[in-house]
Amino acid sequence: MKKILLILSIALCAFSAQAKINVVATLPDLGSLARDIGGDNVSVTVLAKSTEDPHFVDARPSFVVALRSADVLIDGGAELELGWLPPLLQNARNAKLDIGKPARVQASQGVRLMNVPANVTRAAGDVHALGNPHFGVDPIIAKAIAQHIAQSFSAIDPTNAAAYDANYKKFEAAINAKLQQWGAALLPFKGQHLAAYHDSWPYFGHRFGLEIDIFLEPKPGIPPSPSHLAEVIAQMKAQKIKAIIVEPYHDRKIAERVASATGATVVDFAQYPGALPSTDTYIKLIDALVSRLAAALK
Amino acid sequence: MWEVMFWPIVACVLLPWLLVYLGLHVVQRGIIFVDIAMAQMASLGICVALLFRLDLHGWTTFAIALGFTLLGGAIFSLTGKRASKIPQEAIIGIAYVVAAAAAVLLLSRAAEGDEEIKQMLVGNILLVTPAEVWKCFALFVAVGIFHFVLRKNFLLVSFDRDGAYQQGLRVRWWDFFFYASFGLVVTIFVRMAGVFLVFSYLIVPAVCGINLARGTRTRLLLGCIVATIGGIGGLFWSFYGDLPSGAAIVCMFGGVLILVSMTSLLRRKRAN
Repeated sequence: MKKILLILSIALCAFSAQAKINVVATLPDLGSLARDIGGDNVSVTVLAKSTEDPHFVDARPSFVVALRSADVLIDGGAELELGWLPPLLQNARNAKLDIGKPARVQASQGVRLMNVPANVTRAAGDVHALGNPHFGVDPIIAKAIAQHIAQSFSAIDPTNAAAYDANYKKFEAAINAKLQQWGAALLPFKGQHLAAYHDSWPYFGHRFGLEIDIFLEPKPGIPPSPSHLAEVIAQMKAQKIKAIIVEPYHDRKIAERVASATGATVVDFAQYPGALPSTDTYIKLIDALVSRLAAALK
Repeated sequence: MWEVMFWPIVACVLLPWLLVYLGLHVVQRGIIFVDIAMAQMASLGICVALLFRLDLHGWTTFAIALGFTLLGGAIFSLTGKRASKIPQEAIIGIAYVVAAAAAVLLLSRAAEGDEEIKQMLVGNILLVTPAEVWKCFALFVAVGIFHFVLRKNFLLVSFDRDGAYQQGLRVRWWDFFFYASFGLVVTIFVRMAGVFLVFSYLIVPAVCGINLARGTRTRLLLGCIVATIGGIGGLFWSFYGDLPSGAAIVCMFGGVLILVSMTSLLRRKRAN
């Protein structure tokens, strides 16, 4: 049986001009970048759903199957997938995907992470010892990740290196053009303070000159204490904060409660393409985020 | 298929027998939720270890978790009086919520979020490693031998409490031994396979066995058959339907239980 399959697959390879490289991306934003760079030369499997909390993802058998036959693995790194990716990799036993190999793209490599704690102490309450891992929403960092992906694809599949490079250049140009537009849309609100349910937006805020620095839930999975919420409400009133950013897997009720107490609006945000309507690519997602935020702050 | 599902299948073949046996005790004693309460005590122990910044995978953490489980066992054996107005399930329920809430309080003071803790506490049968399966099997064999050697007293205490008192058995101590060994088994299995699975493996095969047969030995045998069918069936279903494995096994158990109840119903009708 195996032999027949082997012969069949060889025949298939000979017929189709080239076999596609199997790319597994842990998160939908990385998947979107991989599709932009790989084009028709790659087939991309994304593990987490776009509405799923990247800290907690439920493993399914197909994840192990996909990782086992993956030629390239793209993950966020910086401990974002710490809770679920290591056991999957351990079971997939695909040595090609070890950290440091060309087939493993860790998006966090080369990214200067924000909010790196000087020392992890209980008092600070920091979740991520390596720094904040939600960097994908900064378009300039996304360019760097895309370049990293293009380099990896070229190393794995040198015959198509020129195509990957061209796709990267196209992506870079698209982001550069859009950056002007996005910057202009958010320029009127420069320096404004915003609230967010979870601290997922320091990179986005940094890029567009917004201070997203009040958080409803200081730690993922731990409900905010009443005194913390009272403090947040007082702070928001004092600073006249207009918007609270919430992601699909957050407790919207708490945000609505705070919003009604402060007169702010709840803005539905998402880190991953596909989680908001008609945001199937990375650029469309940032488009949606910018226009939603501009509408809420007006 | 085999490369991915081999170790989960091995786990589902090698491990359930002890859970089925302990489940017969648990159902007989009417303390259905004791496993979840015990598992929650263990996770409270891990949260304490986290607060003291111990290595979560080290033996000290395991010792603390086990200590909390034993504490739970001590509480349950002390409260399990011969005649009491308060049912044991009430104590078990209270132990569960207080341990769960205490864990939330502790975590709100810990430096890390709960990703890693969740991973530590709630395993996934799909992702078992060979080392885990063998370690768990060895422990189960040890506990199994302990229970086999002392089966007379354990069975008497669970199935005929009045008889046990009349024979002058120190019921409280036997209860403690039972809860302690049970807590050890549950803690290990939850870390490997999750809370859902431990609960289903304890209760569903036991209920099926009690439904279909009389003697403990026959019930155990039937329970093991149900556990093996449900486990392996659930794993296949999870693979071909690409579903989370633990939940697929649990739902498969639900289906098997419905089948078994219908069969026993039909049999009873025919007997009438």
